[in-house]
Amino acid sequence: MKTRISPILSWIAQIIAVIIMGQTLFFKFSGAPESVDLFTEIGMEPEGRILIGILELIACILLLIPSSITYGAMLGSGLMAGAIIGHFTTLGWEGDRLELGILAIVTLAACSLVLFIRRYTIPFLGSALQDSPSEP
Amino acid sequence: MTGKLVVNLHKLARFTNLALPFLAGLFFLAGLRISFYFHFLTVSFLFLNFLNAFYLFGQRGHSLLRNFGILGQGRYILESIGPELRQYLYLNDTEERPFNRNERSEVYRKAQNINSASSFGSQKDFDATEVKVRHAMFPIRKSQLKPSDVTFGEERGCPNAYTMKRPFIISAMSFGSLGESAVRCFARGAKQAGILMNTGEGGYPKYHLEEGCDLIFQMGTAKFGVRHPDGSLDDDKLKALAAKDSIKMIEIKFSQGAKPGKGGLLPKEKITDEIAALRGVTKGEDVISPPSHRECTDLESAVRFIRHVQRISELPVGIKMAMGNAVEFHGLVDEMKRQDVFPDWITIDGSEGGTGAAPKAFMDRVGLPLFPALKRADDILTEHEVRNRLKIIASGKLVGPGRQMIAFCLGADAIASARGHMLAIGCIQAMQCGNNTCPIGITTHDPDLQRGLEVDLKAQRIANYVQNLEHDLEELLCATGCRSVQELSFEHLYVPKDSTLNTFIGSSH
Ligand SMILES: Cc1cc2nc3c(=O)[nH]c(=O)nc-3n(C[C@H](O)[C@H](O)[C@H](O)COP(=O)(O)O)c2cc1C
Repeated sequence: MKTRISPILSWIAQIIAVIIMGQTLFFKFSGAPESVDLFTEIGMEPEGRILIGILELIACILLLIPSSITYGAMLGSGLMAGAIIGHFTTLGWEGDRLELGILAIVTLAACSLVLFIRRYTIPFLGSALQDSPSEP
Repeated sequence: MTGKLVVNLHKLARFTNLALPFLAGLFFLAGLRISFYFHFLTVSFLFLNFLNAFYLFGQRGHSLLRNFGILGQGRYILESIGPELRQYLYLNDTEERPFNRNERSEVYRKAQNINSASSFGSQKDFDATEVKVRHAMFPIRKSQLKPSDVTFGEERGCPNAYTMKRPFIISAMSFGSLGESAVRCFARGAKQAGILMNTGEGGYPKYHLEEGCDLIFQMGTAKFGVRHPDGSLDDDKLKALAAKDSIKMIEIKFSQGAKPGKGGLLPKEKITDEIAALRGVTKGEDVISPPSHRECTDLESAVRFIRHVQRISELPVGIKMAMGNAVEFHGLVDEMKRQDVFPDWITIDGSEGGTGAAPKAFMDRVGLPLFPALKRADDILTEHEVRNRLKIIASGKLVGPGRQMIAFCLGADAIASARGHMLAIGCIQAMQCGNNTCPIGITTHDPDLQRGLEVDLKAQRIANYVQNLEHDLEELLCATGCRSVQELSFEHLYVPKDSTLNTFIGSSH
């Protein structure tokens, strides 16, 4: 990945993830009815709503600071994986849930792309990826 | 093998590899039935499974990970923190290398002006190899000591002969191996302590000159700072540099104890724009100095070159070398006598000496250790009846008064140390000098790491350290009944049978 395009691609993906996660924060923190309903359904209201909101906020910040992008993408993909599990198990895909589910999938894809582009910097994984290992 | 607890790692790893997906499934069910919060664990374990699968099937570089999966990673983690664990937990006070905890804490105490008296007894192993200084039955008082002045260049009547008041020198460390802050700490400290600092082979000594301490300018084999583009000596540049007030002496580096027979080495990680400019090299590749000066191809030309530098610079000029072959050293002295040209001093660097970066085989296996090398050099010069034509500076782990005293007994006129002064400003022996990642900020150009070095405070540590070294040296001298280090001799040492110095007993005057 020595091409000049991949950093740009990564940043585009980061921005997409940040925008999608960021805009839901407003609903989560302000206790918008859709959000409250959703978290009541999975039995996490209200602590879970705040907790997930804070974690998403952290992921957004990490995704924008150059030295921590990889960590942000890891956190973000973890959160989105959880959301997708939620859609498959309890939330379903009806009505606005479809839109939310798709947004989660898009964000997961964006975070995964970031992780792929920056795979050499992933803790524990990066060193194993190097072609010439430093250790036997 | 009865009763012995054996952990079969292979079985454990297989168990782990099965348990991981099983646990992920279990947490998923718990998330479904008990609480959605369990999905935090589900997601984490999915990630672990993914990582594990990659280790086992995706990568080929690490056999251990390929065979054992994620459990094998534990070994790499443990191995990577092994040096720290050993340093903090397992190694006792006299075990570590290159400097054990006792040696380091003596320097730290001296640098922080804390009394370094210890109690109850020594931890050294007495009967085996430890050389001891013989004391006199009637020690003298400090007031009876002669001043410890050493004058370089007096033997040949050099017009700019230099007298140092304290026999301690901050040994060569280049700007490049050191960061700017460290150079300033050393230079300011040297000025405060009134001692000499050697610039090392880092080119034009910009920051040293700004701090204004007394300097030895070192000319490495690549002659950074005073070279023509082809690597030969630029007489005009040397003349201009030598005319500067702070530059008191010039040292021609022939070799260095940590890598005798190899030139200096600065890894590319440490080459900034500024260093490239000061040395006149390009960025992005390791800077490797040639193994020898292009002007010096045999004894005759080497001695002629020393004379040439003496004439151009009009300063005291010495050479630095690690001892390899004593026959060669005989030849060198013969040639000096033949041309009647002597360097004003010879720095004998022991193979235990430090370095910013050197191949391990050179560090471990090439060159003579300081004590036998120093003794041999002193003997050979005495044998040729020219010991009074020059001074000897010794370096190589001379960080505390004990070893320094032995070096004086073996013929040294002054002591140079690099790592002693590094320890004094807080070095923790992290052994990362070549990586630009020094956690203390000494051998790095990273501004975030250099922030750790408060220059004024650390300069004071150097001054304290030197002050306390001098104090101990004086007390040791009094104990031997000698009035100056020049009166010390091999006879003042007790050398046990297993010491490397044992072969010299009865071999000389
Ligand atoms: C970081 C570092 C850089 C050094 N750079 C030089 C150098 O540029 N030229 C040189 O002749 N010796 C260099 N040395 C070797 C020292 O000057 C000295 O000879 C050696 O370390 C022995 O002294 P010590 O055991 O007290 O450290 C360097 C040593 C260290 C630790």
